[in-house]
Amino acid sequence: MKIYIVIPNLFLILGVLFISQIGRSASKSLLSTDPFLGIAPQDENYYKTSSEIFKCKDGSKKLNRAQVNDDFCDCPDASDEPGTSACPGGKFYCRNAGHVPLLLFSSRVNDGICDCCDGSDEYDGKVKCPNTCWEAGKVARDKLKKKIATYKEGVTLRKQQIEQAKLAIAKEEEELSKLKSEEKILKGLVQQLKDRKEQIEKAEEKERLQKEEEEKKRREAEEEANKEKSKAEKEANQEKNEVKEQVGSEEEPMESTHDDKIGVLDHDPLDQDVEEDKSNSVAEVEHTDKSENASPTDGIEQHAAEGKEESPVVHETDLHAGNEVSPTSDQATKQENDVAENTEGLSREELGRLVASRWTGENTGQHTEEVDAVKHDHHESHEETPEDTHAEEYDGYASETDDDSQRYDNDDMEDPVDEDFGEEDHYDSSPPYKSDTEDESDFSDITSTSNPSWLEKIQQTVRNILNAVNLFQTPVDKSEAAHIRKEYDESSAKLSKMQSRISSLAQKLKHDFGPEKEFYSFYDQCFENKENKYVYKLCPFKQASQEEGHSTTRLGRWDKFEDSYRTMLFSNGEKCWNGPDRSLKVKLRCGLKNEVTDVDEPSRCEYVALLSTPALCLEEKLKELQQKLELMNQEQPQGHDEL
Amino acid sequence: MHGSPDCELSSRSEAMAPNINSTLPLLLLFLLFTLHLSSVSAWKKEEFRTCNQTPFCKRARSRKPHSSSLFATDVAILNGALTANLRQPPPESPDQDQIKPLLFTLSVYQNGVVRVKIDEDPSLGPPKKRFEVPDVILPEFESTKLWLQRFQTETVDGDSGPSSVVHVADGYEAVLRHNPFEVYVREKQGKRRVLSLNSHGLFDFEQLRVKQEGDDWEERFKGHTDVRPYGPQSISFDVSFFDADFVYGIPEHASSFALRPTRGPGVDDSEPYRLFNLDVFEFIHDSPFGLYGSIPFMLGHGKARGTSGFFWLNAAEMQIDVLGSGWDAESGILLPESGSRIDTLWMSEAGIVDTFFFIGPGPKDVVRQYTSVTGMPAMPQLFSTAYHQCRWNYRDEEDVENIDSKFDEHDIPYDVLWLDIEHTDGKRYFTWDRVLFPNPEQMQNKLAAKGRHMVTIVDPHIKRDESFHLHKEATSKGYYVKDATGKDYDGWCWPGSSSYLDMLNPEIRSWWSEKFSLKHYVGSTPWLYIWNDMNEPSVFNGPEVTMPRDALHYGGVEHRELHNAYGYYFHMATSDGLVKRGDGKDRPFVLSRAFFSGSQRHGAVWTGDNTADWDQLRVSVPMILTLGLTGMTFSGADVGGYFGNPETELLVRWYQLGAYYPFFRAHAHQDTKRREPWLFGDRNTELMRDAIHTRYALLPYFYTLFREANTSGVPVMRPLWMEFPSDKATFSNDEAFMVGNSLLVQGIYTERAKYASVYLPGGQSWYDLRTGIIYKGGTTHKLEVSEETIPAFHRAGTIIPRKDRYRRSSTQMANDPYTLVIALNSSHAAEGELYIDNGKSFEFKQGAYIHRHFVFSDGKVTSSSLVPKASKTLFSSACVIERIIVLGHSSGPKKALIEPSNRKAEIEVGPLWLQRGKSAPVLTIRRPNVPVADDWTIKIL
Repeated sequence: MKIYIVIPNLFLILGVLFISQIGRSASKSLLSTDPFLGIAPQDENYYKTSSEIFKCKDGSKKLNRAQVNDDFCDCPDASDEPGTSACPGGKFYCRNAGHVPLLLFSSRVNDGICDCCDGSDEYDGKVKCPNTCWEAGKVARDKLKKKIATYKEGVTLRKQQIEQAKLAIAKEEEELSKLKSEEKILKGLVQQLKDRKEQIEKAEEKERLQKEEEEKKRREAEEEANKEKSKAEKEANQEKNEVKEQVGSEEEPMESTHDDKIGVLDHDPLDQDVEEDKSNSVAEVEHTDKSENASPTDGIEQHAAEGKEESPVVHETDLHAGNEVSPTSDQATKQENDVAENTEGLSREELGRLVASRWTGENTGQHTEEVDAVKHDHHESHEETPEDTHAEEYDGYASETDDDSQRYDNDDMEDPVDEDFGEEDHYDSSPPYKSDTEDESDFSDITSTSNPSWLEKIQQTVRNILNAVNLFQTPVDKSEAAHIRKEYDESSAKLSKMQSRISSLAQKLKHDFGPEKEFYSFYDQCFENKENKYVYKLCPFKQASQEEGHSTTRLGRWDKFEDSYRTMLFSNGEKCWNGPDRSLKVKLRCGLKNEVTDVDEPSRCEYVALLSTPALCLEEKLKELQQKLELMNQEQPQGHDEL
Repeated sequence: MHGSPDCELSSRSEAMAPNINSTLPLLLLFLLFTLHLSSVSAWKKEEFRTCNQTPFCKRARSRKPHSSSLFATDVAILNGALTANLRQPPPESPDQDQIKPLLFTLSVYQNGVVRVKIDEDPSLGPPKKRFEVPDVILPEFESTKLWLQRFQTETVDGDSGPSSVVHVADGYEAVLRHNPFEVYVREKQGKRRVLSLNSHGLFDFEQLRVKQEGDDWEERFKGHTDVRPYGPQSISFDVSFFDADFVYGIPEHASSFALRPTRGPGVDDSEPYRLFNLDVFEFIHDSPFGLYGSIPFMLGHGKARGTSGFFWLNAAEMQIDVLGSGWDAESGILLPESGSRIDTLWMSEAGIVDTFFFIGPGPKDVVRQYTSVTGMPAMPQLFSTAYHQCRWNYRDEEDVENIDSKFDEHDIPYDVLWLDIEHTDGKRYFTWDRVLFPNPEQMQNKLAAKGRHMVTIVDPHIKRDESFHLHKEATSKGYYVKDATGKDYDGWCWPGSSSYLDMLNPEIRSWWSEKFSLKHYVGSTPWLYIWNDMNEPSVFNGPEVTMPRDALHYGGVEHRELHNAYGYYFHMATSDGLVKRGDGKDRPFVLSRAFFSGSQRHGAVWTGDNTADWDQLRVSVPMILTLGLTGMTFSGADVGGYFGNPETELLVRWYQLGAYYPFFRAHAHQDTKRREPWLFGDRNTELMRDAIHTRYALLPYFYTLFREANTSGVPVMRPLWMEFPSDKATFSNDEAFMVGNSLLVQGIYTERAKYASVYLPGGQSWYDLRTGIIYKGGTTHKLEVSEETIPAFHRAGTIIPRKDRYRRSSTQMANDPYTLVIALNSSHAAEGELYIDNGKSFEFKQGAYIHRHFVFSDGKVTSSSLVPKASKTLFSSACVIERIIVLGHSSGPKKALIEPSNRKAEIEVGPLWLQRGKSAPVLTIRRPNVPVADDWTIKIL
């Protein structure tokens, strides 16, 4: 098999060289004699007529046949000069037998640079362009084949994912509607229990009042008897109590304020994602408050909020770590003040940093050290990356042969990652993991549909209770009352859990998971990528962040899909000093794993990432690629035949 | 004469202190408020000195006319020059200092240049020699000196004493009036003054002193102290431009082209024009404050006589007042009657009087005279006259590759891709961040394969890092500027703690220039050129963001004395480095931000860190016009505006205007959004591509103009009055400009403009550059404006050479054929020129070039050579002329006869531009295909 291929290869190369030699020696005359140079096959009929009159394609002008390809531009639409550079905006077609044909801007014709792999764009004899179509074509075909293989597998994966997603969604929808109807019942029960509980409480209250009344009467009688006794002692006691009360009433409100604050700022680290949002909004709200009526007593909180806004890299937990202001935000605030204040108080170095920061917009603290640190990390992480070496001529084809003119899509065929497909073991990037914003185990008791009896059980219990307790029986049966209270507490807790599950499910199902729900599985996943010292964390439908050590910067909240589900947009991230709010665009492309492969910041604070995923392995695109390969394969025998 | 001590000022400012304190909290509150409103902070006005905060300026401004009591004695001819001593009457009270006589020298040079020098007499033992700026005046200038043999004596203006008169040029004389001292140039006929110095008696010269017990000369500003070891040493005097309607020049200021009065009736509280090279963050668009460069050269122009010029070679801080008429009403001085006269007051902190009077009389004569002293603009490489793409920063090799391929994808030509500071390893210039740029040579070679070039930034501050070889070497050799105590000056810039090479020293410049060799500059290639930024010098923690004035340079020169020329020497050394790298065969390209008189010999400049708004688009025109008028013709403004994000319409308009800047570069701050031409939708891509295409089509014309500048000093981009010197309506027009003598361009400076009023000067017609539609000259036209283009017109009677085939870069256009566009005037005639050389080497200096003269008259166009007959052909071109378009010709003829080949070419009615729909049909000679290098005649039959 291999030998069979190699031999014609040789022939072809020799043949092409031979032909191109002939062509070159006749190049001068080619310019004036070949009127069909640069014409695409689909246009050949238009040009190859016997008529002596040529009409510009746009119909604007009639010319002599001799004016076609005479190196002088006559047609406003450039159609009379398909083979020369005379018309700006024209297109030159090269066949590139053995590879894919190319339509070049006519500005490339005879410009001294070999653009067509068959060299046909350079015929004025000033440069020699060897025919490289066979080798280049082979490389391209191989890459295309690999890509097709990836797509094939990816399409299957995608289908599976879609199936799973549809099942899961159906299940969740079913669960939701079931929960909703159960919620109704449970609500009713809880209400009943509540009513009952209140009745009991009323009865108990009545009982208590009665008892108190009796007690009071009894005591009054006793007191009357002891009235004369120890009068002075009693007065002293009374005074003491008053003092106590006063002290208490002064202290209490202060304590409660303090508690409130801690309640907002303190949080369980496990809830970090949720809490972060909360604390952000707290900071924002407070900031607004302050700017409306700047109250000097806001003190520390205001300070923290300020520092936060001005210095985006403030560690989130700084806000939560008690009421202390973090050194970073302190510095930022100080810096701002310095801008307004006289710069005379600054040390020479501080002044230098301050003035530099006007241009750079960077925090003036430890700037250079940070830069050096980045560099250091840079080196380490990049040294292992194999160098990207691909045939230079190939670059010219990327945009022409691939429909996707997106920056990163252009790289599709060249990306070394593509070549690794099928060897999944080699991936050592961290795998996607479940988003930790929801802990579903909490709901296991109510979500387990396999066990529908719990509701019935409760219903039964409630019925029993309600039947068993005699409302108007006095005194109230203590154990019965406790039983009802317990049932009520349990049921209402269950209800609120159920309601939160309902709302989170409803929230989830409201999202746009793509036309075929292919992005459903993204909902509970986050993807990570480490670039130098930063870890980028993308949680689709939620948010994206950049982590550096312990500090987290929010790059954006989930916004939407764009570009027909080929881009995910996270917007309204943390504000940039002197720049826009941060945002992240995630470009999606077909791959066998969900994996973030690249994060970049082409404009300040506007991030771009690449995520490969089977969700993008579209069947139509696969067909397109297969057709392209077919076309490329077709070119070969034709090219061969001509020899 | 130094009677008003500086302590007077400091006590006054102390008196004001409490007042400031009481308003400070309010001020702070206000500042905080504005900070919150906009995250982008604006121009830090308070960081820069006003005239009132600058003792020498304040003193000079407060002096009354006629306060100078100098008179000239001992007038003689010495060494071919007129010399004298300038003395003062003995002081009335004994505690006043008696000043020592000053030496006065007046010399005359060819072509109407008079030089007047006044300095302390070295034989009278001044504490040190005052600084004379070296290496600015062309060495060959001295050889044009006219050796004076004698002078006449006459009595003028009813003086009691005599005046001495010498011959200057045909019709002009220079006069030294002895008492009161005054010097001026006048017309022989009618004795009308042209230019004068000290007509108002404002001359003042503070002599150097040795510090005595109790002298406190220190100056404090914003926490910085200047020790001033020699005391106040400023110089000031008045200069009058006679028969001038306006004065122009003295860049760099963001202000109107015709200089507005800064003092006088109706002018409230204005600052003088300041010449002090400063890195001004977010400068505003209308201000006399000093910016990045200084050229102390002013031109006066009037309808009555023409143009004259005055140049003061002095590199210290200068402040110049333009005095509004009537400013001296109180003084009662009456100068000889002279239609219109503009008085100016020149003040400098140090140096000597070394001034040049240029007599004109035409505008082009004055720039020729000025450039005969300071040098002709260098002939640029062809590629550098094309389009440049820059951004702070193209981040890495992938980014570079991506940008480069996007240009190709959108069929937009560009010639140069620029790398800003982030490409270096920690702002150590000559190094690469090897993570971002692992293979810089390969990257440059890839660009070079498409005929493209790269520019990297090299700034003058050197990172104080013991492991950095440049720093180690400079430290051990003692090559850094010293602080007032003699230690290496340590300032703060991009790399943090930095030192600055003492570029005044020729040895250090030579050492520096070696660093650009391919061997020393690792990762560089022959396709790499250089950008000098921050060379004012910018020092983030220095006074006014620059170097302290008492820092010390080579030969004990204080920084105050040479400040404005520091960037010039740095630019010079870098430019020399590239010449050396190319073994003297490759023209350097170095863009500099700071500049001084003479910078035109070393490369290009741009107007610095402008802002993306309409006002800054507008002010770019007067700024570039002013630079051109003062020698710096190779200049431009950042297209798009450096700070901020331009609206799409503004960006498009900026490309349309920038395409006519002599230096055409897009640039943007790192905080801005990406703004390459393809990012704003297809239509806008098309518009920007079209603007860039226009520039590429006109490259042959531009290159010819650069050659004209190189031989005559006449700028590429010119004010209208340079071409129409007696048309008063053009004198203060700085919205329109000429490119060469054939093209008039007017920017569109407002949003959604529907109409533009364009004044087309002269008696001849103008053809719309795009449509060929004819417009009458001498009137203002209200034109409808489209998004497609800004108004541009081809002047009747001129011929513009074009290349209509667009390529990836100018490099691939070398062999492409030409189009000649002939715009006939009312007598059916036109002429134009075309200059061609190899675009990169110095061989043109030996005559290796083609210079054609095209003339259309009597129904035929003729090409003849402008190369002196004697020189043999050292350069040839196989290019032909593929198309000749004749505007203003009737469309009857069908054939043209080409001589000497005796061929016939067809004539048809064709478009003025290919692929641009709207043009009116024009007479086109089809494929004459005559070699551009040959003599030929084509006769329309």
